Amino acid sequence: MSSRETILAAVRANRPAPTSLPGVVDFEGEATVERFTEWLHFIGGQVVQLAPEQPLEDVVRQLYPEAQRIASNLIPASVPVDGQTAIPVLEAVELAVLAGEFGVAENGAVWVPEANMLHRALPMIAQHLVLMLSRQRIVANMHQAYAQVGHTGAYGVFIAGPSKTADIEQSLVIGAHGARSLTVLLR
Amino acid sequence: MSHPQRAAAFTSDAERTTWHDETLWFVRQKRDKAAYGVPEFQQLRQLASDIKEHTLSRLDEYLEQFERNARANGVQVHWAADADEHNRIVLSIIKAAGASSIVKSKSMLTEECHLNPYLQQHGIAVVDTDLGERIVQLREEAPSHLVLPAIHLKKEDVGETFHQHLGTPKGEKDPQNLTEAARLHLREKFLIGQVAISGVNFAVAETGAVVVCTNEGNADLGVNLAQVHIACMGMEKLIPRTADLGVFTRLLARSATGQPVTTYTSHFSQPAPGRQMHIVIVDNGRTRQLGRPDFRNSLKCIRCGACMNTCPVYRRSGGHSYNFTVPGPIGAILSPNIDLHKHSTLPFASTLCGSCTDVCPVKIDIHNQLYKWRQLIAQSNALPLGKKLGMKLLSWGLARPGLYRLGGKVAREGLRLLPRGLSHAAALNPWAKARELPEPPAQSFREWYQQTVTQ
Amino acid sequence: MKVGLFIPCYVDQFFPQVGIATYQLLEKLGVRADFPGQQTCCGQPMANTGCERDAVPVYQHFVRTFQDYDYVVAPSGSCVHHVRKHYDIVEQSGAVQHVRTATYDLFDFITQVLGVTELTGRFPHQVGLHLSCHGQRGLHQANESEMTPVRDGQLSRLLRSIDGLELTELTRNDECCGFGGTFCVTEEAVSARMGHDRVHDHLRNGTQVLTGGDMSCLMHLQGLVRRQQLPMRVLHAAEILNEALQTTVVPAAIGAEQVVAAEQQVTD
Repeated sequence: MSSRETILAAVRANRPAPTSLPGVVDFEGEATVERFTEWLHFIGGQVVQLAPEQPLEDVVRQLYPEAQRIASNLIPASVPVDGQTAIPVLEAVELAVLAGEFGVAENGAVWVPEANMLHRALPMIAQHLVLMLSRQRIVANMHQAYAQVGHTGAYGVFIAGPSKTADIEQSLVIGAHGARSLTVLLR
Repeated sequence: MSHPQRAAAFTSDAERTTWHDETLWFVRQKRDKAAYGVPEFQQLRQLASDIKEHTLSRLDEYLEQFERNARANGVQVHWAADADEHNRIVLSIIKAAGASSIVKSKSMLTEECHLNPYLQQHGIAVVDTDLGERIVQLREEAPSHLVLPAIHLKKEDVGETFHQHLGTPKGEKDPQNLTEAARLHLREKFLIGQVAISGVNFAVAETGAVVVCTNEGNADLGVNLAQVHIACMGMEKLIPRTADLGVFTRLLARSATGQPVTTYTSHFSQPAPGRQMHIVIVDNGRTRQLGRPDFRNSLKCIRCGACMNTCPVYRRSGGHSYNFTVPGPIGAILSPNIDLHKHSTLPFASTLCGSCTDVCPVKIDIHNQLYKWRQLIAQSNALPLGKKLGMKLLSWGLARPGLYRLGGKVAREGLRLLPRGLSHAAALNPWAKARELPEPPAQSFREWYQQTVTQ
Repeated sequence: MKVGLFIPCYVDQFFPQVGIATYQLLEKLGVRADFPGQQTCCGQPMANTGCERDAVPVYQHFVRTFQDYDYVVAPSGSCVHHVRKHYDIVEQSGAVQHVRTATYDLFDFITQVLGVTELTGRFPHQVGLHLSCHGQRGLHQANESEMTPVRDGQLSRLLRSIDGLELTELTRNDECCGFGGTFCVTEEAVSARMGHDRVHDHLRNGTQVLTGGDMSCLMHLQGLVRRQQLPMRVLHAAEILNEALQTTVVPAAIGAEQVVAAEQQVTD
């Protein structure tokens, strides 16, 4: 018998009495920009509110004046990136400016599906990350977030703040392996 | 060595013990604050427990559903009955990819299977990319905590390790600078890793997706740059629906570190075009645990580490004192399933205070299981002989009131008459190493009662 | 109401003043408790060591001893918790079921059965309360810090109702003291360290009198206090309440010496 069959047979023999699966919950809660902003600050990110007509590119330039190598499908990019882009090119990206789908008020997370990433590694390999988000697209909590996502797709990530670690003496350090900073632009 | 011996060695450094205790207590406090902040937190715990309970009750069906969906997604699914088979499968995938070096993000399962030494024996260079994991890997140590692998180390220790291995300046101990050095060092590894191994936090039956939660972004970076992704998972990681992630992602990080969510909650269900994704589903004793009604609950564990942070014994004895992949209270109920005799002191490394049970986000009754393992250990002749006979004798005497009265009197009078040097000799009486014995009174309560009340 | 007093084995032999205070406190609250002399132990020491099967005769003896009482009252949450929770391995006869549900911790009995939630008395000291984990998390005698930031419990309410008694606010409100039964000797190093930390939390926050509902925890903490010669006295909460409630009962014989000595210390 293959291990697969052995394992499944052992599970069948040993599984507990059937219990029912709880229904899907919501718990509601505040789906406000204020709460989202507060939490994103708490976890080390920042929120910048855009005026209705303010050009995105200008804001990005103001926020990251030093950035030369920018990858984006939202503003003119200096580094073209797609799924086939070579690793050394990706590695050199200083700033990625990408679209987030929606934000989660209870924890500052932003849903970024593969389609928005240009390359799967881009949101993590870029030194800094900017996510563009609509003010209208804030949900209260992770229940609503998954309801919104539906199917998580081939690859998709909730990104909540910049990369961080506290593995040395529990001292929080921002910028572990992924983006050193995260800015969410709200329009 | 037993847990008490290793624990005694740990506590002998009082200052470090204080530091370890206070650091982890701080994490526990952050967890409390996060839990208090969610009004439905206790309901979420119950939901999480119920979802896991249901999943375990139909685990075979969910495993098959998961496999079916994963295959349809273009993922190759492998099954491993034990650690050996898991390691062989992983090695064969690496060899087929023609790789000689791999990067690995955090996976307690691969620790459990001792994958690293196995791969190294077969000529594969393994780099752990989680910062804490990398630190202990460079030091050739085991992680001492599920979530905080290097929590037993001070920044000076890490500084010295990085000085030796990464060439940081001697005496550099600033966590910011050390982390930056690790970032640069590990980026090089990410860029050349042909195969990336990740753990799995949740596996969603209805989509075939695996979910990986990290703060550093190392799992995503490794996986998304490599040609081949191998996700290694214990079979208990299954959950039925994507919607169930709402419950678990709300609990995991809050319970683990007090964060509202991990920085990256990543959902992998299909490899990028032209690349490969493999999932290895591992049993390694889990079906046996599933067959133990008193202990199957432990399979609900989502590896948050909250029971460690709250455990007053763990905080003062360190993760290595457990000498098992998963330390702390949860390790003490998982380990006897693997080797009851080897780990027989672990269920006794607890006061049964119950705090672990109360913080557990999936409501595993950890302290009850500790109690129940103790019974099995005693029945399996794994107790020290003296303890075992002593308890038999005690029970015999305590069922006999006359003997009990005599024994009590002898104990009290004996303590009165014994010279202090003898009654408090640390070699004979461990109690007296740090504590005075009670001062024996002249009269017992029952004597008082007889004289005063029944007269 | 027929109330049987269960005085745990080590309290009987080493802390008779706690048994006396329990008896007298109940008497002041209008309950004349009976102490059946054939009682021994609840069986917890064996069971926690993994030998609960060996303890079955002890369980049976406990049930035989107390089955004819309406209530069994003990100044020990830990023993009560053991009877209530772990007497599930013997055949659940009517007597066993009765004893399991009728066995109360002293303070649960006072608040839940007698309905007394406030007391009139005086005890002008800063008191640090250490609840046993079996009382706290097992019998739910107080809120748990794992669940809520609100620190509240029935024994702390009883103590707070005493005039002049000030309760210590601890840094860690409900951490285990490290006694743990045989744990205190098998894991001596960790046990002592836990106790040390607990005692010093009290000391730092001003505790003059350390108290609790379980003499086992207190015996362990008292052992540390005495070894380290710390300026803190250790009394079971029954002793504090009994003393606060202006005693009219004259304690007799030698047991009284200790009560009187304790009172003198307290009033000094």
